[in-house]
Amino acid sequence: MQLSPDETVVFTLGGFSVNATIAGTWAIMVLLTGVSALITRNLRADVPPSRWRTALEVIVTVINGQIAEITQRRDSRVLYFAGTLFLFIITANLLTVVPGFEPPTASLSTTAALALSVLIAVPLFGIGSRGLGGYLKTYVEPSPIMLPFNIIGEVSRGVSLAIRLYGNIMSGAVIAAILLGVAPFFFPVVMDMLGLLTGVIQAYIFAILATVYIASATAEPPPSTTRKDAP
Amino acid sequence: MSIDWITVAAQIANFLVLIWLLKRFLYRPILDGIAAREAEIAARMGEAAEIRRESEARAAEHEAEIAKLRASRADILHEARQAAEAERAAVLAETRDMLARARVEREAERAEEARRFTAELNREGAEAILALARKAVTDLADETLERRIVAHAVAQLARSRDEVAAAAGDSSEAVVLTRDPLPEEATARLREGLAPILPGVTLRFEIDPTLSPGLSLRVGGAQVGWTVADYFDGLEALLEDRIGRPGGATKSDAA
Repeated sequence: MQLSPDETVVFTLGGFSVNATIAGTWAIMVLLTGVSALITRNLRADVPPSRWRTALEVIVTVINGQIAEITQRRDSRVLYFAGTLFLFIITANLLTVVPGFEPPTASLSTTAALALSVLIAVPLFGIGSRGLGGYLKTYVEPSPIMLPFNIIGEVSRGVSLAIRLYGNIMSGAVIAAILLGVAPFFFPVVMDMLGLLTGVIQAYIFAILATVYIASATAEPPPSTTRKDAP
Repeated sequence: MSIDWITVAAQIANFLVLIWLLKRFLYRPILDGIAAREAEIAARMGEAAEIRRESEARAAEHEAEIAKLRASRADILHEARQAAEAERAAVLAETRDMLARARVEREAERAEEARRFTAELNREGAEAILALARKAVTDLADETLERRIVAHAVAQLARSRDEVAAAAGDSSEAVVLTRDPLPEEATARLREGLAPILPGVTLRFEIDPTLSPGLSLRVGGAQVGWTVADYFDGLEALLEDRIGRPGGATKSDAA
């Protein structure tokens, strides 16, 4: 039994083995981009919005509203980052219902890559908002003694993000596989439904946490020491 | 369970590409579309609000005008009736005045016509009478009028001796003008009558066929005469004065 899609080589491209994680990611990228381009290709103010366009507007507006609630301001760069995180993760998690598709989020490499992206993006957003000096100053607040703890907190934040997402998705897939062997008719369906719910929640939590980290790094007042954490 | 760092790097790259792709094909078009639609909606709402404000303002104006018209309708009717009555009265008065003026003018024209007719009648009658009288007296003067005029002239000069003497001044000659030669008896009587009035003044007799029958005496700067024409001039002046013709002059020195 393979626990990670990294171990499944789908095809080889120029001597480079493309595993299921990367192939699944590309598929999701093609799906998201294709659908978006298809729906928004004829976007004019004088054309009444179609059903699909309205659905996309609802999704984007809800994501933007959530980000605005957390950051208390509208920043399109945060929308691009956190919105893409959410759409990628939720699409990957929902595609677990497709037979034969291995979600890239079930790979620790993917979740680690996403967590690393958040870890890199948070300082970049903080530096872009406060400047380099202003951002580095947050590491020695409220006291320089807190510097190592703040650094450890930043790293553990990314690690927890990666492990949480990977654990939830991978465990759901593993449990479904085990139950498929034990009771092949009823329980896998229930577990798949539970996995879908968990995947949606995890996508939401991952994106929200990334937004919270970015918001805490870019907020004008000194960042709060109490941080919202996931269950 | 292990981390494939090559896959991690590839996934980071994939994620960054996905961010760019979704920004290009999803977020930008959707956000721009929403912004454009919101702007259009805001513009339309603004236009609608403006139209509504204008409509409400116009409705208020119309209601105010209707109320004002309702309130003033009775007054307007009353004023219109009064104006009509006044107009009617004015037209009637004007018509009456016009009729009265026309009547007065007609009466005046009639009176003037009657006056002109009467005056013409009087004038023609008077001229006829005058011509008859002149003819009769002229016929009679062939025998007696010059003599009677001389006698009358002497009598008149005697009555106004002082005025005649003052008028004569230092003149030594007086001219007697007649239409026809005076008889010897008449000239002698005239010399005799004027001798006490104009002492030292010699008389010279001249004939003027244009004169009316009678006698005219010119001495110094004065001239007195007693001709038949003077009488008729006085009569004509009297007639004209009686019938109202202006400018009828009478000679004060006529007898």
